[in-house]
Amino acid sequence: MVTAMTDLLTNPKRYITHLWLPAISLFVTACSDVKPVENASKTQGIVYCAEANPVSFNPQVTTTGSTIDIIANQLYNSLISIDPVTAEFKPELATQWHISEDGKKITFKLREGVEFHSTDYFTPTRTMNADDVIFSFSRLFDVYNPYHFVHDASYPYFQSVGMDQLIRKIVKVDNHTVRFELFSAESSLLSNIATDFAVILSEEYAMHRASQDQKHLFDNMPIGTGPYKYKNFLRDNLVRFHKHENYWKHDYAVDQLVYDITTNNTTRIAKMLTKECDITSHPSATQLEALSARKDIVVDKAVNLNVGYWAFNTEKPPFNNVLVRKALAHSIDFDKIMQAVFYGNGIAAKSILPPSSWAFSAQQMPVYDPEKAKAYLTEAGFPNGFEMTLWAMPVSRIYNPNARKMAELIQSDLRQIGIRTRIVEFEWNTFIERIGRHEHDSVLLGWAADTPDPDNFFSPLLSCTATFTGKNPANWCNPEFDLLLTQALDTNELSMRKKYYLQAQAMLIEEMPLVPIAHGVRFQARGANIEGAQLRPFGGVSLANVRKGEQ
Amino acid sequence: MLDYLLRRFSLLIFMLFALSAFTFGLNYLFPGDLLTNFSGQVNTSFSQSQMLEEKYRINDNVLVQYGAFLGRLIEGDWGVSLSSGQTVFSHVTLLLPATLELCFYALFMAVLIGIPAGIITSAYHKKWPDKVISTLTLLGFSIPVFWLALLLIMVFCLGFGWFPMSGRIGLLYEIPAVTNFMLLDIWLLGFPYGGQAFVDALHHLALPTIVLAMYPTTVLTRFTRDSMLNVLEQNYIKTARAKGLNRRQIILDHALRNALLPVIKQIGLQFSTLITLAMVTEVIFSWPGVGRWLIDSIYQRDYPAIQGGLLAVSMFVIFANMLADLTHSMLDPVSRNQSHGKV
Amino acid sequence: MAKFSLYSEESNRSPLSRLWRTFKANHLALVGLWMFIGLTLLAMTAPLLAPYGIDQQHSDALLLPPSWHDEGDVHFILGTDDLGRDVLSRLMNGATYTFGLSIIAALMTTIFGVVLGTLAGINRGFKSSILNHLLDITLAIPSLLLAIIIIAILGPGLLNTVWAIILALLPQHIHSVRNLVVEELNKDYVGAYRLDGASRVHILFRGIFPNIYEHIVVIFTLALSTAILDIAALGFLKLGAQPPTTEWGAMLAENLGLIYIAPWTVGLPGALLFLSVLATNLVGDGLRNALQARKAT
Repeated sequence: MVTAMTDLLTNPKRYITHLWLPAISLFVTACSDVKPVENASKTQGIVYCAEANPVSFNPQVTTTGSTIDIIANQLYNSLISIDPVTAEFKPELATQWHISEDGKKITFKLREGVEFHSTDYFTPTRTMNADDVIFSFSRLFDVYNPYHFVHDASYPYFQSVGMDQLIRKIVKVDNHTVRFELFSAESSLLSNIATDFAVILSEEYAMHRASQDQKHLFDNMPIGTGPYKYKNFLRDNLVRFHKHENYWKHDYAVDQLVYDITTNNTTRIAKMLTKECDITSHPSATQLEALSARKDIVVDKAVNLNVGYWAFNTEKPPFNNVLVRKALAHSIDFDKIMQAVFYGNGIAAKSILPPSSWAFSAQQMPVYDPEKAKAYLTEAGFPNGFEMTLWAMPVSRIYNPNARKMAELIQSDLRQIGIRTRIVEFEWNTFIERIGRHEHDSVLLGWAADTPDPDNFFSPLLSCTATFTGKNPANWCNPEFDLLLTQALDTNELSMRKKYYLQAQAMLIEEMPLVPIAHGVRFQARGANIEGAQLRPFGGVSLANVRKGEQ
Repeated sequence: MLDYLLRRFSLLIFMLFALSAFTFGLNYLFPGDLLTNFSGQVNTSFSQSQMLEEKYRINDNVLVQYGAFLGRLIEGDWGVSLSSGQTVFSHVTLLLPATLELCFYALFMAVLIGIPAGIITSAYHKKWPDKVISTLTLLGFSIPVFWLALLLIMVFCLGFGWFPMSGRIGLLYEIPAVTNFMLLDIWLLGFPYGGQAFVDALHHLALPTIVLAMYPTTVLTRFTRDSMLNVLEQNYIKTARAKGLNRRQIILDHALRNALLPVIKQIGLQFSTLITLAMVTEVIFSWPGVGRWLIDSIYQRDYPAIQGGLLAVSMFVIFANMLADLTHSMLDPVSRNQSHGKV
Repeated sequence: MAKFSLYSEESNRSPLSRLWRTFKANHLALVGLWMFIGLTLLAMTAPLLAPYGIDQQHSDALLLPPSWHDEGDVHFILGTDDLGRDVLSRLMNGATYTFGLSIIAALMTTIFGVVLGTLAGINRGFKSSILNHLLDITLAIPSLLLAIIIIAILGPGLLNTVWAIILALLPQHIHSVRNLVVEELNKDYVGAYRLDGASRVHILFRGIFPNIYEHIVVIFTLALSTAILDIAALGFLKLGAQPPTTEWGAMLAENLGLIYIAPWTVGLPGALLFLSVLATNLVGDGLRNALQARKAT
C-alpha cells in the first residue's frame, strides 16, 4: 500500500494521462478559437509561497527575515548593492560614490529619472532626487524628521549596528548629489548602506501622508522605486504586487507577483506539487526527495551566510551563571541534531561565523558529554537540575528548518541531566516580539547575514545596543565584547580586523551566551518553467528578474 | 401564531443577552490584563490608558461595565485584534462570509444526498440497498473529519492533481470583495477572466464541501431513515397498504410529508455542527474563514479576537436554530403548542 | 404482541439476557464489541506491553519503514519516525490517551448527566424551567466549539481538553436523561407505584432506573464516540495534547511533515482513530437495534 501511495505521489502524471488525455484534447479542439483570448485575460503572474505575514512594508523598521524576503527587493532599491559573486559594491540608485581621505565624508551621485510607483492611493509628480535620500536616512536618526517617532522610533537594524550614532548630518550638494558626514570613519558603513534595510522612500509621498494626518499609513501602504508596486495585503492569505511600469532598470517584470502566505511547511510543498505555487521558500529537507523526484520542479541550493543557535536569557537566573550555560551546551548531542533536523544539508557550527566568512576561525566547540554537563551543574549548585522554557521558532528558516523537532531532541537530551523543559511556540511575529521583550529562558533562533561583512554577525546580534532594541536574544551585554567590535570597526586594515574578530569568536565560546549549532544551506523549489529567481548568499530574496516560461 | 412568534422572539432576546453576558464574563476569565482583553491595546501610555479606562468604565461597577460593553457591541466596536492591530469587527465581516459560503454548500449537498438516501433505505428496509447505505453511513459517521480531508488531498490533489488544495480561488485572479461570498462576487462582477475565475472557484470549493458535507449527510440519512420507519409503522400507512397501494404511492404520497417534518428541524440543527467542523476543514484547506482565524487567535492568545470570533459564530448558530424552529412550526402546527422549557 | 405459548420458558429470561441474544445475532455489532474490548485492554496495559518507551530515540534507526518493507527492521514492526522513535510503541500508548481518556471522559459525562438529568426530570416549576432554558442555550452550541471556548480560557493541554470535553458534552446528556426520566414518570406503572405509597427515592431506584439503564449505555457509547473524535480533533489542531504526548490526533499532526517520505506515520494513527470510533458506533448501533427489537416483541 505504501509503495503504491508513494508511486502515486511521485508519478501522478502516469495515472491521469491515459484517463484524461482524450477528454482534454476534445475540449481543446472544441474551444481552440477562444483559448488564446482567455489566456491573455488570465493575467501573467507568479505565485510565491512565503512562510509568514510581513510585519511591515518598510524594511527600515524590521529585521525579520521573512518580511525582508517579501518586501525589500521587490518594492524598493538601495543606493548601492553588493554583488553576490564578487562581493564588490555595485551602483543602484547611486551611480557613483566617493569617500574622502579621512573616511568621514561619503558623497553619492544619484541616478536621474528614477520613477516612484504610481498607485491608486498616490501619484508622484517628480522623479527621485536628493530630498528622498535625505528623508530616508534622516528618519533613522534625526529627531526633527516628522516620521522619526512613527512606530516608536524603532529602527532595529540601524540602531544595533550603531548607524544612528555615526552620521553627523546629510548634506544636499545639488539636486542629485548628497554627502554623508560622519562622526568617525567606520569600515562597515558602506556595506550597511548596501543592505536591504537601507531603502530609499519617497519624500513627496511622506509629506502627502503627513498633510492628510495619516502618518501611520505610510509604512503600510508603501511607495518605492522597485520593480513591483503594492496592490493589497490580506492577512494570513496573500500579498499582491503589480508590475511597476516605469521601473528604471528594466521592463520585463511579470504583471503580477502574489505571495501566498502559507505557514505550514508541508502545505507549502503540497501546493508546489499541485502547482498552486510557482516558487516556494525553505522547503524542508524531509521533503526535498518528493520534490526532486518530479521533472517539472527544480530545487535550487546555495551556500548562505547564516547561523542557527540556541541562546540563553543571560539576565535571568540561573542562566546568568556561565557554568549553567556550559552545562547545557555540553548536554546536547549535536550529531543527532545534524542528522535528524538538517538531514545532512547543513554544516555543524565551529564558531558563530560560517566557514565561508573571511574572519572565520574554528573554535573548541562543546562536545556531547552528559557526565561533564552534570559536573558543571553540580558546580553551579544545581545537582538536581531545574525547570526551564525552550522557545522554538514556529517557521522554517535557512538556519533552522525545523526548530520544533530540534527542541524535542534537546528536551530529551536535557532530561538525561535532570533538567525539565517546556517547549513554547507562538505565531512568528508574536514570537519575535516576545523574544524582544526577553520573556524566554532559552530560544532556538538564528541569523542570516545581510552583508558579507563579519560585523553583521556580531553587532546586530550580540552588542549592548542590540539588547536595548530587543534584537539580542541572549540579552547579553558585555562591555569587553563591545569594545572588541568597536576596535574592529575603527580600522580599515584587514589583518587587524581579523585579529579582533578572532578574539570575539573565542570570547563567545568562553562565555557561551549562545551555542552556535549549524549553518544551513539555502533551498528554494521552483517550477521548471520559472527563470531568474536566483538565490543569494546573503540578504533577502530578489524576484526582480523572475520570468515564467511556457510549460 | 402571533403568540408563538412572540414567545420565540423573547427567547431569542433572552439567549442573546445570555450570550453577551457570557462573552463579557470571558474578559474576566481570560488571563491577562482586563483593559487589554477589552480593548486589544497593549503598552499604552498613561494618558491613553486613562482614556481607555474612561471608555470601558473599568473603574465603575460590573453592571455599568456590562452596559458599556453592550453599547459597544451594538455599535460594532468589538475592540482591536492584538496580533493584527485591526478592528475585530472588520476581521469578522471579512471572514464570516467565507465560512458561511462553505457551510451553505455543504448543507445543500447533505440535503441533496442525505434525504433521498434515507428514503431509499427505509423503502428497502432490511434489503440490500438498506444494508449498503447503512454501512456506508456508519463508515462516514465514524471517520474523523481531518483524516478524511487528508486522504482526499492525498488522492485527488497530490495524486491525480484534479483539485487545488487551498484557498477559495487561484490567487492570480483578482476579485474585488463586494459581498465576500466568492461565487456571488464573481457573478456580480459579470464573470471576469472569461468565466475562468468562476470555474476555478468551483474547483476550489469541491473538496472542502465534500469533506464538510460528509458528517451531516450521514446524520440526515440516518435521521430520515428512522423517521420514515416510524411513520411507516403507523396505522394509516397500514390502512393504505391494506387498500392495495404500491410502495411508491405509499412512500411518496402518504409517508414522506409526515416523515420529513422532523427532518427539517434536524437540518437547521446541523448548522451548529457544520460551523465546528468547518473550523477543522478550514485549517486543512487553508480556507480564509472565521474558524481558521479563531483557532489562530487561540494559538496567539489574542483574547479580543477570540471573543469576537465566538460571539459571531454563536450568534449565527442561535439565529440558524431559531430559523429552523420557525420553519418547522410553520409547516407543523402541532409543534407550536409545545411551550418552551416546560416539562 | 407476545405469542401465546404454553411453555413460556423463553420469555421468562431476564431482559438483559434477551438483549444479549438479539445483540449476538448481529455479527457486525459483535465484531465491534470485540474490537472495543481489545482497545480497552490495550488502553489499560499499553505501557507494559509496548516494546519501547514513547520517547526512546534510536538515532541509528531514523524513519525506518514497517518491517514487511524491504528496508524495514524486524525490531521496529511498524517502523520509526523522524526522531527514531518506535511507531508501534507510540501507537499503543496512544490508545491510553485517546481511547482511555475518552472512556473516562464519557463515563464522567454519563455519571454527571444521569445525576443532573434525573434532578431536572423529577423537579418541576421555576427551578426546572431555568435549568431547561440554560440547557437550551448550551445545546445550541456544538460540543467541539464549546470545548474550544473552554480551552481558550484554560489554555491548551491534554487535561484541560478532557475537562472541556466533559463540560461540553454534559448539556446534551442531561437533556437526554431528563427526557428519558420524564417519559417514564408519565407512564402508568409509575402512577400505580406512587398510589401504592412509594417515596420519590423508591420510584426512582426501583421504578425508573431499571427501565432506562440500557438507554444510558447507548448514551454512553454516543458520548464515547464524540469524545474520541473531539479529543483527536483538538489534538490535531494543537489545542489538546501537546507533543511528545502520543495522543493519536496530536501524533498525526506532528507527523504531517513526513507525509511524503513516511506516509505510515500519518496513516496509522488516523486508521486507529477511525477503527476505535467505528467499534464504538457499531456497539452503540447494535445495542440500539437490540433494544428496539426487544421492545417490538
